[in-house]
Amino acid sequence: MTPKMQLAPDDPHVSWAPERTQKTGVAASVRSISKRFKKTPVLDDVSFDVAEGESLVLLGASGSGKTTILRIIAGLEQPDTGSVTLHGKDVTDLPARERGVGVIFQSYALFPRMTVEKNIAFGLKIRHRRRKERRETVDRLIKLVQLEKHRKKYPWQLSGGQQQRVAIARTLAYKPQVLLFDEPFGALDAQTRVHLRREIRALLKQVKVPSIFITHDQEEALELGDRIAVLNDGHLEQIGTPDEVYNHPATEYVATFLGAANLLLGVVTRGNVEIGTARLPAEKETRRFRDGQSVKLVFRPEDVCLSPDAKLPETCRRLANGVIEEVSFVGSYERLNVRLDLAHRPPTGELAAPLYQVTINTPERMIGVPIMATRPKPEAHTTRYKPGDRVAVGLTSFSLLPNYTLAKHR
Amino acid sequence: MKITAIRHVRGFDIARPISIGVVLGIMLPLVFLPLLSIFIYGTSKGLGTFWSSLIAPEAIFALKLSMVTSFWATMFNVVFGLLAAYVLSRYDFWGRNAVIVTISLPTAIPTAVAGFALLLLWGPYGTLGRLLNQQQVMFTPYAIILANIFVTFPLAFGVIKPVFDTMSRSLEEASATIGATRWQTFWHVTLPSLRGAIVSGALLTFARAVGEFGSTILVSGNLALRTQTAPLYIFAKFNEGQIEAANAIAIVLALLSFMIFSVLFFARDWLEFETQEA
Repeated sequence: MTPKMQLAPDDPHVSWAPERTQKTGVAASVRSISKRFKKTPVLDDVSFDVAEGESLVLLGASGSGKTTILRIIAGLEQPDTGSVTLHGKDVTDLPARERGVGVIFQSYALFPRMTVEKNIAFGLKIRHRRRKERRETVDRLIKLVQLEKHRKKYPWQLSGGQQQRVAIARTLAYKPQVLLFDEPFGALDAQTRVHLRREIRALLKQVKVPSIFITHDQEEALELGDRIAVLNDGHLEQIGTPDEVYNHPATEYVATFLGAANLLLGVVTRGNVEIGTARLPAEKETRRFRDGQSVKLVFRPEDVCLSPDAKLPETCRRLANGVIEEVSFVGSYERLNVRLDLAHRPPTGELAAPLYQVTINTPERMIGVPIMATRPKPEAHTTRYKPGDRVAVGLTSFSLLPNYTLAKHR
Repeated sequence: MKITAIRHVRGFDIARPISIGVVLGIMLPLVFLPLLSIFIYGTSKGLGTFWSSLIAPEAIFALKLSMVTSFWATMFNVVFGLLAAYVLSRYDFWGRNAVIVTISLPTAIPTAVAGFALLLLWGPYGTLGRLLNQQQVMFTPYAIILANIFVTFPLAFGVIKPVFDTMSRSLEEASATIGATRWQTFWHVTLPSLRGAIVSGALLTFARAVGEFGSTILVSGNLALRTQTAPLYIFAKFNEGQIEAANAIAIVLALLSFMIFSVLFFARDWLEFETQEA
């Protein structure tokens, strides 16, 4: 496998970002971009910033408008309204060639008639740089992307990963304002994909060029992005660090798009969330809601803790009792389908009978509310469950979202 | 390419030799033998006769004229075909399909009709020819070029256009984002991908133009040593009963077309690679 990319220690050019006199801190800024194709709205008032040296991932399903944003930043598409600013300069009306952005296309779009060297040198050639300067830059970039052995080859003689590295080097040659990656790993197999995105992440940290990635793969987004912007149907749902969007999703869409999420409806009552008969203590989380407000309780399968004897760990907040419905091993972890009993009021003196009789989930009556839980392998090995086991269910972390069922969202 | 056929019968398949035999049997009298007879008859009176017929001033002139007029017609049609293919595959405008159909129309028009139409327009009493006064175009080598252009008009376009259509737009977009102007993109990125199509388009056009007879005989006037192209020379000499003279030129034209065709055929892999990569 390819060794870790590294610049030679004597290389004076550590940064491939353009030299600038004023440091604004914001590399690229998109302000209230809207776009329609024919009559169909594709983007609706999208705004975000990319900081100097930062990598931002635009995450969304196909048709969410993420590619259109990228094309608008690159200058390949005109927005109907709004503006694009690169390093403090409004480029909304500039054609693509005057913007100095680097686009890494999904197909890489390497020039088939040019060798690796010539592809990389293209940006300098059309800028009429001197031959000596061209050769030096190409040499440094070829070293940077580890293609010394392939410099005389043509694109079709290279693997997908190598082609991608040529594509990156080709844009770095002219010190781009910002790098735009359009589904950079879409055309690669799963293994190469994981390998390459680590490489690219390391490379970007090294060259210090701000970048925007486009992907529909949440795993990729979490790994590549300093921040993630989740797009849904042409508008921005949430923008934040991977930790923020994953652990504190702002909307139901974000919660469900970024990994699996359980969703329960509840009502806020004096620092608790009531879900059916269950009462979940949530002092901190309910602070921004008023009493009696309807909320959605969102939690990830891995945030569910189960206990056969009602003794939940310290960090877990008790939610309800439940019955194991199905246990399945999914490779690296175990997945459990649990039916929650949210209909029975626990008898008084809960400690006396922690796992009171519940009559949910009989073949005749399926009244339990289904949730999904996952457990890591070691835990799955120490405590085994089989369908029909009664468990206490708690949550280590969760988030509350306002429940707009009647009022139109947005 | 590996050739495979489904086995329909057990053991020896009689359909195989029969069908191959029928194909060859039809081709023999229709294609092989006529071509062969040119060479057999042409050299039957010895190579000396062949050579002297070939270097007759009229013959040399006819060959030269054919080459030169075909060359200019090819140049024009390749450049125009390139432009037309670019415009028609990159821009959408009202009447675009009508233009595509019109460009391809000369393929279906009988060449004699084409020559006649040119005469009506550019002839001494034609709509435009009337305005030319002393500088008549018809019955000069320019008329031959004009006729060749008309007849071979769709050939280069027809080869180049599909390559444009299938060419990935992202190459040109990549070039633009890197900072290339429209012209730099065309010169460094688009044109190299079209190399194969341009070469085969040019060869097809040239081969067709060299052999053009129907329209040329109407517009050129068929004047020996002035406007007589090689095919016209063959026809004229044949009519005069000088079979050897006609035959010598026929051999040259046949060899030329063999050459062009083998370039097209054997360079096919190279040309196909070109289009795939585009």
